[in-house]
Amino acid sequence: MLTEEKKKLGLEVLSAHEDSKLITHLNSCVHCGLCADSCIYYKSEPNEHYVPAKKVDIVASIYRRYNTFLGKNIPWLTKARVLDDATIEEMVDLLYGSCTMCGRCTMHCSIGVDINYVVRKGREMLAVMGYVPDSLNATVKAAMETGNNMGIPTKEFVDTIEWLEDDLKFELNDDKANIPLNQKGKDIMYTLNPREPKFFPLSISAMAKVFYAANESWSLSTEMYDVTNYAFFSGNMDEANVIAQRMDDEMNKLESKKCVLAECGHGSRAFKWEGPNYIRKKLPYEVLTSVELLAQYIREGKIKVDPDRLTEVVTLHDPCNLVREGGVVDEQRYVLKKIAKNFVEMTPHGTDNLCCGGGGGQLAMSEYNGRRMKTAGLKADQIRKTGASIVVTPCHNCVDQLMQTNAEYKLNVKIMTLAELVADAIILE
Amino acid sequence: MFWYQWMTLAALAICIGSLLFHLIRLIRLGNPQDFSKQHGNISKAVQYSFTKAMSPAKKESAYLHLPTYTAGIIYHLGTFLSIFLFFAFLLKIEFNQLTNYILIGFLIISGISGLGILIKRMMKSELLSLSNPDDFISNLLVTLFQLATALVLFMSNSIVLYYTLVTALLLYLPMGKLKHTIYFFAARYHLGFFYGWRGVWPIMNHKN
Repeated sequence: MLTEEKKKLGLEVLSAHEDSKLITHLNSCVHCGLCADSCIYYKSEPNEHYVPAKKVDIVASIYRRYNTFLGKNIPWLTKARVLDDATIEEMVDLLYGSCTMCGRCTMHCSIGVDINYVVRKGREMLAVMGYVPDSLNATVKAAMETGNNMGIPTKEFVDTIEWLEDDLKFELNDDKANIPLNQKGKDIMYTLNPREPKFFPLSISAMAKVFYAANESWSLSTEMYDVTNYAFFSGNMDEANVIAQRMDDEMNKLESKKCVLAECGHGSRAFKWEGPNYIRKKLPYEVLTSVELLAQYIREGKIKVDPDRLTEVVTLHDPCNLVREGGVVDEQRYVLKKIAKNFVEMTPHGTDNLCCGGGGGQLAMSEYNGRRMKTAGLKADQIRKTGASIVVTPCHNCVDQLMQTNAEYKLNVKIMTLAELVADAIILE
Repeated sequence: MFWYQWMTLAALAICIGSLLFHLIRLIRLGNPQDFSKQHGNISKAVQYSFTKAMSPAKKESAYLHLPTYTAGIIYHLGTFLSIFLFFAFLLKIEFNQLTNYILIGFLIISGISGLGILIKRMMKSELLSLSNPDDFISNLLVTLFQLATALVLFMSNSIVLYYTLVTALLLYLPMGKLKHTIYFFAARYHLGFFYGWRGVWPIMNHKN
């Protein structure tokens, strides 16, 4: 039930203007509806409900009702809406349940409305009023309470790393091969997606092997290794701030020079691009993604890779937050061209890629699973058309979604991270 | 000057004053303060945002909807031409008959484009559900402005009707969706700023 106090908090999100960006995008949509074809929800189910402009309009209509002359005095003229329980119910479904915040509609908007940004503002409104779906909230809560979104106890994490370290020593036949924990003064503090220690430990081994080959000075932290920040999806800015601050604190504690973000689209965005704005400070150390680091290692000759080892047809899925919203477009292609003889692009790809359907917190919100897997059909078609047997994606969130897509649409492909492929191609001297 | 011209000039002053209010507010609020490390070139990205990013080669909303895109371009050109002719009428600038016919022809085509967009809005269910009365009023006012301009060029005794219509348009413009006259530029600027900061725009060919 919406109380006056909650309503005031929600409306304050729209009336607090720190700069001209919000009022610009709330006043710009001309309702042309041409964004529809850029949305994976609309493309997979052409329904007026899924037109991205609808998502903008529900937020903008509330803004109009309380902030514009026509909206205040003749609300029917611009369909300016009162913020009430019915509006909130619709907002939750549109902004959480029908959007992965992939930003594709933004890039193709005829006007230039940052639809993704308006959706995030709408989610912020819902978060301050307490309407984040419980499923998504639970993921954020786990991160807030345990330091990682999977709620992995530190002992379990350390045990996993020690087991992986033993395996690494065996694989490399070198007792000095290691996965350092909590070591101060190393050049790199490496982060992980908690899915790695929980479900995909081999991707940690892969990166450890790369670091070993590059003779890198690095460490993991047992206190704050989680690259994800699901509060970026929930819209709870206080929690997003706390999670980003923890990472910054850990970097300072370990006195590392570089923070290398694991293969996680939203995680890299949430710390590299949004993190400094959450904690309102410029970071005194370098922040880069592991994708950029892998490209750098190969380019600088720090690791040697065999270009002939991988002969299968490989295609690449671009994570939206890493590519379209993060500018990492060429690096993963550079790496793949060095290690795969048969690399085939999807159509479309790069900044124009289609979201896999798992972004925006969708994987955490089981109540929308049906829609999520329906949108995945588009990606399944793209993959099929490449004829690839391996799909690489530098994002663990996308890996999860693509694995489910693989099963649901019977694609019979292998889903791998970039580090896993690089590790397989490394030539150790 | 006749009373109807004074009336329109007063509406013009109100319109410009209101748009200036929006513009000054945008300028005063300024750019977002971004604490992340800048990776790209903002001025190049903003330039890209206003040029290539809007071209049918890059923008899906254009290349997947070429008839609508073309109609929209013609419609907007018709609006700019009508604004130019509005000042020409006020300044009593006259054109020869051939020019008049060319202008009338173009304005009829742009007016039909505007009506086409309006009909599309009424016929497509997802567009209709997205629309509000302001969308229809705004389109009608601008389309009628273009057609009335053509009518004045054709027969000058329709001038009172013309100035009355222009007055209504000018008074309505800063309140509804037509204020995208200002916000369109701000939106494209912000988009260029955002993607430029992160090095996403301008989109280059792959370097590898």
